[in-house]
Amino acid sequence: MADEGDAGAFDFDEFVEAEPSEEILTRIEQKSHLVEQLIRQSKFTEALKLALEDAPTRTRDERCKSANWIVVHRVLMATRDLESLLSTLEPEYDDILMKYLYRGLATGDRPTCDQCLRLHEKLTERAGMGCIIRILADRWNLV
Amino acid sequence: MAVVSSHQLAQCISCHAWNADLSMVAVCPNNNEVHIYKALSFTDSIWDRVHVLRKHDQLVSSIDWAPESNYIVTASHDRNSYVWNLEQDEWQPTLVILRLNRAAISVKWSPKENKFAVASGAKSICVCYYEQDNNWWVSKIIRKKHNSTVTNISWHPNNVLLATTSTDCKCRVFSAYIKGVDARTDAETAFGEVKFGEQLMQLDLAMGWAFGVKWSPSGKTLTYVGHDSTIHFIGDVGPSPIAQTLALRDLPLRDVLFLSERRIVAAGFDCNPILFEADNQGTWNLIRFLDEGKLPPAETKTGTQFLEAFGKFHGQAKHGNNIEIVESSNISNTHHENCITSLRPPSKLGDDAHKILPSKEPPCSKVSSSSKFQLQRMIAPLLSRGDKEVHYFSTSGLDGKIIIWDVSNISEFVSRLRL
Repeated sequence: MADEGDAGAFDFDEFVEAEPSEEILTRIEQKSHLVEQLIRQSKFTEALKLALEDAPTRTRDERCKSANWIVVHRVLMATRDLESLLSTLEPEYDDILMKYLYRGLATGDRPTCDQCLRLHEKLTERAGMGCIIRILADRWNLV
Repeated sequence: MAVVSSHQLAQCISCHAWNADLSMVAVCPNNNEVHIYKALSFTDSIWDRVHVLRKHDQLVSSIDWAPESNYIVTASHDRNSYVWNLEQDEWQPTLVILRLNRAAISVKWSPKENKFAVASGAKSICVCYYEQDNNWWVSKIIRKKHNSTVTNISWHPNNVLLATTSTDCKCRVFSAYIKGVDARTDAETAFGEVKFGEQLMQLDLAMGWAFGVKWSPSGKTLTYVGHDSTIHFIGDVGPSPIAQTLALRDLPLRDVLFLSERRIVAAGFDCNPILFEADNQGTWNLIRFLDEGKLPPAETKTGTQFLEAFGKFHGQAKHGNNIEIVESSNISNTHHENCITSLRPPSKLGDDAHKILPSKEPPCSKVSSSSKFQLQRMIAPLLSRGDKEVHYFSTSGLDGKIIIWDVSNISEFVSRLRL
């Protein structure tokens, strides 16, 4: 419906980075240590929640996004029991987790894709098509 | 909460509108024509096509039928509008030059019917009014603010404020006050005194294209839907609004309709209207899907467990002892077989309402149902005095069907849910 030339044009005007990338990166760094600890204690749901919380979706800096993806990826790959991971995860994390699952599928890495696809099936069962539609539609909060 | 009747009028319907007494319906069968059908009451009646309005060159995107003046206004992708007036059984068109360079998408008469507004792909909205001296409809354009196609518009009951949704994912409120057309006192709104074309509010709640905006009957609440499968409710529209967003479990919605101040029906790609209701604190919740052909209800993420459980229970009971409904439902299990794009309130339901309603329900049942409603009101006072409740509404969609829904027993149902 939007004009070819206009599509996304409104996306980029008036965009200001809310905070410097360095600060975001430091925070993710600290977060990753805590996440590691939780993984060692086999508290996967807590680790995942922590990894998903405060994800740098608003920034345009790819370094921040990649750094957080590495943390989320670490938890996803460490988890064996996906059923219990999802059943203990509150629904408010559904949308953000789904975004990371698609990021994982985009990597093309076989084990990552396998894991993301398994989780995708279970998450879709729970969160429905609405969740997928939301993450496909959202062009502002990208992971 | 049932389907009263379903009518296959075309392969695909782009829009439809009812006349004041609901004896006629204007339908665009997804081309440049508007077909007017005489609507009959029987459930399986075949509606007669009585008029065909041919004037547009391209797809008619929207129709609105003014209940008082009986004028029809149409908007089309050919960038023009026509106002149609019935003279001696012939619909006479008057061209309205909108001065747009992109398609007209949606058109709505203002509540007083002295103006109409057109949403367009030219990132602008036109407000048109009749100039007596020139015998001519004049179009004033609001070009500011929209960054993309305007998909839908809704008039505030005060005849001045105009809400728009757009594919830049935002919902906005503008002033459509026109000096000389509106009384000077009309310029005074919840936003203070307003001038033409002023943007009064911008809502940035949806993360996808925004569609289907509506004001509540009082104009205090505004609601719109997003293509990211969300629905947004804005209470106390004015300087300090309160916003609430519900994320849905299923596919996105396309259009919304207020049944009353606290009840909304919304429909879209799930082919199944959904009922939303505000509780006493003003928090909106998804109550249930209305099409009983389908298993109820998928919950919203924020919906309470309690309502969910009851919804399921009710659905099973319904299926258990009402086998006909299950059998008559089609493969996709809903009455609509494709996306519902338009919801219409036969809200000006006068005494002639029975014309489109099944003959087994005589007009006198209206009296009993309204008294029942009074009773219910005492149990669950959901509406303030003087509120008008919509008992029936119609939907049209890409499957070419018009379906009429009966929600007259909804109060009863909802209060049963709450007990």
